[in-house]
Amino acid sequence: MIETDILIVGAGPAGLATAIALLRKAKGNKPRVVVLDKGRSPGSHVLSGAIVDPSGLRALLTDEEISQMPCEAKVCKESFRCNFTRGLSLPIPWVPPMMSSKGYPVVSLTKVTAWLCQIAQKAGAEVYTGYAVTALVEEKGQIVGARTGEKGLDKNGQKKSNYLASEEIRAKTVVLAEGGCGILTEKLIAEKKLEGVRPQTYAIGIKELIEVPAGTQTAGEVMHTFGWPADFNTYGGGFVYHVSETQVMVGYAYGLDYARAEIDPFRLFRRFKASSAVAPHIKGGKTVAYGAKVIPEGGFFAVPKPYAPGCLIVGDGAGLLDSLRIKGVHIALQSGIAAAEAILEGLTQSRGDAEIGEDYLRRLQATSGWKEMERVRNVRASFSFGMPYGVMAAGLAWMTFGKFPNFRVPGCDEGDATTLRPLDRAKLAQEFADDVESSPCQPDRLTDVFMSGTIHEEDQTCHLKIKDAAKCAECEVKFGSPCTRFCPAEAYRRDEAEGGRLQIDFSNCLHCKTCRIKCPYGNVDWTFPQGGDGPRYTRM
Amino acid sequence: MHVVVCVKQVPDTTNVRINPKTNTLMREGVESIVNPFDEYALEEGLRLKDRLGARVTVVTMGPPQAAVVLREALARGADDAVLVSSRAFGGADTLATSYTLSQAIKKACDGVTPDLVLFGKQAIDGDTAQVGPGVSEFLQVPLLTYLRDLETKDGKSFRARTVMDDGEHVIEGTFPCVMTVLKEASTPRYAPLAGWMKAAKADITVMDEKTIAADPIRIGLKGSPTKVVTIFPPPTKGGGEKVDARGDAAMGAKTIVDFLAKKGLVK
Repeated sequence: MIETDILIVGAGPAGLATAIALLRKAKGNKPRVVVLDKGRSPGSHVLSGAIVDPSGLRALLTDEEISQMPCEAKVCKESFRCNFTRGLSLPIPWVPPMMSSKGYPVVSLTKVTAWLCQIAQKAGAEVYTGYAVTALVEEKGQIVGARTGEKGLDKNGQKKSNYLASEEIRAKTVVLAEGGCGILTEKLIAEKKLEGVRPQTYAIGIKELIEVPAGTQTAGEVMHTFGWPADFNTYGGGFVYHVSETQVMVGYAYGLDYARAEIDPFRLFRRFKASSAVAPHIKGGKTVAYGAKVIPEGGFFAVPKPYAPGCLIVGDGAGLLDSLRIKGVHIALQSGIAAAEAILEGLTQSRGDAEIGEDYLRRLQATSGWKEMERVRNVRASFSFGMPYGVMAAGLAWMTFGKFPNFRVPGCDEGDATTLRPLDRAKLAQEFADDVESSPCQPDRLTDVFMSGTIHEEDQTCHLKIKDAAKCAECEVKFGSPCTRFCPAEAYRRDEAEGGRLQIDFSNCLHCKTCRIKCPYGNVDWTFPQGGDGPRYTRM
Repeated sequence: MHVVVCVKQVPDTTNVRINPKTNTLMREGVESIVNPFDEYALEEGLRLKDRLGARVTVVTMGPPQAAVVLREALARGADDAVLVSSRAFGGADTLATSYTLSQAIKKACDGVTPDLVLFGKQAIDGDTAQVGPGVSEFLQVPLLTYLRDLETKDGKSFRARTVMDDGEHVIEGTFPCVMTVLKEASTPRYAPLAGWMKAAKADITVMDEKTIAADPIRIGLKGSPTKVVTIFPPPTKGGGEKVDARGDAAMGAKTIVDFLAKKGLVK
């Protein structure tokens, strides 16, 4: 058994910020801090836009350190557009200052995470990648540690010659920093009844890095869009970030509370790239990297109680995200710092777990990120009634500093799995007929999956477990197996040669968790594949 | 029994692309990994440790950051690690590398020839498969290449199976020996977390040209008779001929048979 003071699960921005703050703010003896991550190397499972609000970085690091951050460009020109149709897109003439990100760094969060990891290691943190933490260890209602996943099991679950047993790590405090829809986090929230006022609502974010011919673009030019190809009843938007003269990051996020079972977010992403607003930006380009991840968009009211005895939850896993700007990195960093301060205070004062948890929440509530979330708390739910209401709510939140509406707007109250309507097969045919022609900057899904670098040991137990096969048959009749469309990695498909049996190609998986969230029957048990498997993002 | 395993840090070639204009490697975002074939060599060494209590020393030559491949080997169970590193070794070809490594191995073993020196069958970046044989020359020790299977009861004599173009060879002999290992030999083990925790703190012996008493004209660029004049990507192959036989399988089969007949491959 391994013993440490603090165990951090997940080496993303939130987990690493916790580690850095723990080691830098500790007075006297530094605690032993162990950080584990299931990705092969630091950052390989991290994906974001990302234009980073620097407030979080400033709270954690010195100006000199921040100047060393791998930054692709600074936002120099920013536009917001509303797409009405494929060919009609209008610029929003005036943008509220709270939406502006002029001067902010445009980064690859994968690279920034690898950089943060180096800082954490220099501060004394022990970061080990390639180890999935698959279970928490609980004693008398208190989290006392965690277990790593086994390796070397074959597809039937039998031990291979290189079998590696699970290892147990004991810690005074376990910090869950798993990111959006973290599996251990979700289980803990359910078991300990930590749910927020309403269930978390997610969006699936799909992103490509596209290389374009030189001389056509300016680094630092960014565009945000909303509207088409999303209908006005779904929260969907995209971005185009010119990170250098020859590289563009293009992304599209689509609210997973969508109702139309025929929807395929990847196809929407392709249509978005073909729209008149985006196509000129990627003309003559070639996609070189791809990835997808869910974004916890529910905001303020969806934040769970972020602690349980012996355990704190930080970052996206706790739903800490400004759901209007769709920015969470700065709040993730702030939450990490808050958790570290509460833990250190607890260590010096020999406080009990309940006190540490309450102290963490108090510190979290004092951050600028939390206040920002509170201000826009009603925006996401308002969008579920249609875009005009959403825009109105955003405007009100801005004008009244979040004071009005002072009640909780209903909406997004049921969870994303429940919003699907039965499949309209005529519309499904239409959806497929509308598909965009393939080109180097419009690769098909499997070509994109290849560019994510995702790889899983093939001879292992399938990590996407179907709880009840009968429900899949029922789903095919009623919803037409939406997993075959909402999965951005084509991990689910109907095998027509075998009578339409649901075939799961788990090795395509990008670990985005959309299937766990959106399956209308909640029929996917997302378990951990072997540590080190999964996407290998390097520039996402 | 003392086993030395030589490992190399290589770029993950699954991600390497060549800039068509400058003919140089585009390394942006390309990770460094342990040469995959070396993992099989290490596994062979660790199995001897499991069975006979052999001491396993891993050696690599490279820049300071190559230490990470040594730590990975330590995490899996190797006993000690040597990093052969100095600017003077830069630009070494396979001859200079073999010389340098053999000097380092001698130093690491205090002049006593180790019982077994293991290499992967080749590195995935250069694909030369020359350094293992080179080291065997410099150490004056017999060489077995393309090892598939190694049996030894006492760590003194062995029975080995190697795979050659003309078939498999079964060879009996006595240590010391240098062997290059195929991936068919085993499945490499995973490093336990506890192993990594130990390896992260382990001391790595660093050796430069002075430590290994190297002859200055036999190392680095100076000691390298081979020169890389240019590198270039192989010409892109055109797509093959496609036969669309959907709806008419007989026609498809006939087209393929005709094609093969024209090449004289079928009659």
